Amino acid sequence: MSEYLLDIEDLRVYYYLAEGVVKAVDNVHLKIGKEEVLGLVGESGCGKSTVALSIMRLIRNPGKIVGGEIWFDGENLLKKSDAEMRQIRGGRIATIFQNPMSSMNPVFTVGSQIGEAIKLHQDVQKSEIIEKVVDILDKVGIPSAQERAKDYPHEYSGGMLQRAMIAMALSCNPKLLIADEPTTNLDVTIQAQILELMRALRKAFDASILLIGHDLGVISELCDRVAVMYAGKVVEHAVLSAIFEEPKHPYTQALLKSIPRLDMKAERLHIIPGTVPRLIDPPPGCRFHPRCEHAMKICSEAEPLLTDAGKDHSVACFLYSSKKAKPPT
Amino acid sequence: MPKDSPFESAEETRDVYKPSRATRIFTIWRKLKTSKLAVAGFGIVLIITIIAIFAPLLAPYDTTWTGRSRRPPSMEHLLGTDASGRDMLSLIMYGSRVSLYVGIAAVSLEILIGIGIGMCAGYFGGIIDESLMRITDMIMTLPELPLLIVAVTFFEVRSIHIIVLVMGFLGWPYIARYVRGEFLSLRETTYVEAAKSMGAGSWRIIVRHILPNILSLVIVLATMDIPWYIFYEATLTFLGFGDPSSPSWGVLLEKGYLYLTTAWWMITFPGIALFFTSLGFNLFGDGLRDALDVTERGR
Repeated sequence: MSEYLLDIEDLRVYYYLAEGVVKAVDNVHLKIGKEEVLGLVGESGCGKSTVALSIMRLIRNPGKIVGGEIWFDGENLLKKSDAEMRQIRGGRIATIFQNPMSSMNPVFTVGSQIGEAIKLHQDVQKSEIIEKVVDILDKVGIPSAQERAKDYPHEYSGGMLQRAMIAMALSCNPKLLIADEPTTNLDVTIQAQILELMRALRKAFDASILLIGHDLGVISELCDRVAVMYAGKVVEHAVLSAIFEEPKHPYTQALLKSIPRLDMKAERLHIIPGTVPRLIDPPPGCRFHPRCEHAMKICSEAEPLLTDAGKDHSVACFLYSSKKAKPPT
Repeated sequence: MPKDSPFESAEETRDVYKPSRATRIFTIWRKLKTSKLAVAGFGIVLIITIIAIFAPLLAPYDTTWTGRSRRPPSMEHLLGTDASGRDMLSLIMYGSRVSLYVGIAAVSLEILIGIGIGMCAGYFGGIIDESLMRITDMIMTLPELPLLIVAVTFFEVRSIHIIVLVMGFLGWPYIARYVRGEFLSLRETTYVEAAKSMGAGSWRIIVRHILPNILSLVIVLATMDIPWYIFYEATLTFLGFGDPSSPSWGVLLEKGYLYLTTAWWMITFPGIALFFTSLGFNLFGDGLRDALDVTERGR
């Protein structure tokens, strides 16, 4: 346990809707080592943001963390009181959201909002706060930080605001940074800059990062290891190179085939047939089997368990192992 | 109150990068200036406020001074004299104090209760929202004027303060509904989510993050409500349920009404004063609405 900064064990998060129970996250295991970047990939609605919110304990009604454990730095976050969680949020765990333009309060200056985050978690003098705010804005590459700190969010561009959000997240030296699709709403050149910045800051701040995204290109830029999620489950978990060079799960393979590439001549881009299942009544057995090219009889009958398939590589598929999950009781 | 109460430590943090108050007022004024009507409204409000504050210095006569009764406007008495021979201009000037007090005090009360109830209902939702809004609905269904009359009669002492209290307690529901609606939508915004993820507690989010976003519109509502309460008090007084010891414009109207045919100035001038006050506050409120829009500030 001690070698991991974050260790999610058997996490289950359900949303209780009038139509039924949505198992948004089901038996998810994830581990992030110290100073490691883990990419969490999946289609929209596969539960990756729910995992992020669970770590912060910000799941709202009708959602509920039904079971599992989230160990962070040797402590179980699910056992913390609300007051303790508030100290951890923004202190030791910080988040960057996907839409920088709406992540800042429009009626306060950028500097005052970063200052508030510092004030909340550190015992510092007012004069020091100003210095710290300017210093951190400077670090994330805001030009003339002293003046820009006094500007309102609407006076920033999208890329600048995402830099400011990163500054706010890093202002209290978090150990874990959760980046929920940090570049999705930015245009491509800005994306590259933000990724560059995150790579540089990762070295400077020694933080672990949980990078959530659906863009494998972005993930490949930054991550050490990758976990692929499908319909609320982790289907494959391996180091970055293994995911890209020898993907094992049919879903991962299909995902990789769907990336347009310049060096390959293909008439049409590969698409995965079908759609993500509604999690209110997921297909029995392996949740991917209705869309899977390699589906076998057993796939619709039992659920494959995440098992080792090579060095530091685990996959949940009957092609590689016959281990079944216990039937739900 | 929770540990991370917004009222203790947060104050200084905000000020760190807040533009100084003077600059902010200046930018608001610059926006306000672009509308002639808003400036006119502001002018009227300013003049009435000055008259109210400095009434003893500005009024040509004391309210206890009496001369010949029911004299028409002349050089001596610009707006004539009333039935007991008092100078109408002076009475109107002194009356502005009472009327303004009524308007501002009742609105403050209404805003305070309305914001408190509205923000709790909107932010916490669920059973809190449900029960608070049912209370709000109940008060909204009460017919105000008859209830005011009953309430004022119920307290045996005729006091302007009681009228203010009753009006404030009856007026808050629509503010509460408005504030609740805004909270309902703003609590879903990403910046509230972001504030939570930075470790802010509920009260901090309510008071420091959401409330400032709606405050400007509440101020606008409040400004436009002031004349409404002044009218209400005048109506009550006109109907004979006022506080005769506080010479508000309503009292002047009530007395003037008796002499409508013989001394028109007794009812006309307080009426004009009321009219301009209402006009001023409404124009000013309208202008403020535009000027306070923060995303356009400084542009």
